[in-house]
Amino acid sequence: MNPVDIAVIGTGPGGVSAAITGKIRGKSILLFGSRRLSEKMQKAQKILNYPGLPAVSGSEMAETMLRQLDQLEIPILEKQVSAVYAMQGFFAIQTAEELYEAKTVILAAGVVTGKPLPGEDRFLGRGVSYCATCDGMFYRGKTVAVLGYSRHSCQEADFLAGICGKVLYFPQLPHDIAVGPGVSVLSEKVTAIVGEDTASGVRTGQGTQYDVDGVFVLRDAVAPDKLVPGIRMEGNHVSVDLQMRTNLPGLFACGDITGTPYQYIKAAGQGNVAALSAVSFLAAQK
Amino acid sequence: MIQRITNNDLSDALKQPTAVLDFSAKWCGPCKMLAPVLENVADAMQGTASFYSIDVDENMDLAMQYRVSSIPCIVILKNGKEAARDVGFQPQPGLQAFIEQHL
Repeated sequence: MNPVDIAVIGTGPGGVSAAITGKIRGKSILLFGSRRLSEKMQKAQKILNYPGLPAVSGSEMAETMLRQLDQLEIPILEKQVSAVYAMQGFFAIQTAEELYEAKTVILAAGVVTGKPLPGEDRFLGRGVSYCATCDGMFYRGKTVAVLGYSRHSCQEADFLAGICGKVLYFPQLPHDIAVGPGVSVLSEKVTAIVGEDTASGVRTGQGTQYDVDGVFVLRDAVAPDKLVPGIRMEGNHVSVDLQMRTNLPGLFACGDITGTPYQYIKAAGQGNVAALSAVSFLAAQK
Repeated sequence: MIQRITNNDLSDALKQPTAVLDFSAKWCGPCKMLAPVLENVADAMQGTASFYSIDVDENMDLAMQYRVSSIPCIVILKNGKEAARDVGFQPQPGLQAFIEQHL
């Protein structure tokens, strides 16, 4: 499979703008996101400061953007990207089913709210894992906690139940909980991961501590530095220069992921700059 | 060059001033991504450190001995003793810098 010129991750105004500019510049584009484009945009009642679209509602803006993507024949790949790997001279983009390759990547995945739990970073790789399929086998016959954020976490918990001795499921966000009989659901929110050299337990908001051998944190929204290993951050945001370049050559970012102000017009403008920077980067590689 | 460990035999690595162990598995996506990156780092650092790949399915005793609970996991040994470890994929510059810090 030949790598595409530009992969855009995210279909908010930043990602859509980047994809449009890239396509107009004659580049092959892979756009990952949703045909609803952006839940945040869909819910915006009135947007008052977008030039040329006075007092447009978010859903109207999304509809117009979607029409423009369709007219330019830019399809949206409705797949969740779980990781972007900076390889030598290209990027590998991992989704649940497939691996895609791109010469450049524009990250427009929006802002991830929320911080890691106390103990999460400290024990990562020492009892804390984000990947049940990768690391489940290290807990054969042992007790693990699953911190669930969506229905998808339930499937992962069921997978772990086939390997581990005991699986304790803690719903961290409200969602439909559908787990098999091998998973014990505890309706308490985990507030900290505890241990000494390795994680040995979780503490909940009720003050209860549960002793476990491993903790699987299964969020849907992945922080940028977990999504793209090696990317430089400034607080919760991706660090970029005025050309929207990140510290990784060929990787650009735009929109809310780069920081405040969280404005549609800023995101769209940055998306345009990011795409033009990607085009220049591609030209320099030839 | 990266040497493949078999039968849980780490004796050669334990004799080296600096050994880099890559714990991985065939079915692990990030491990597959890291493998060519580590090959490049091993080539770039030839003569300064020795590199070993350890399939955790084939060498479960070593994985347990080193308390590996997430892969890919890079463990750096200095004269046979663990000096540092890093979990997950890293692009080449970051991975090479991490290893060079511990030479």
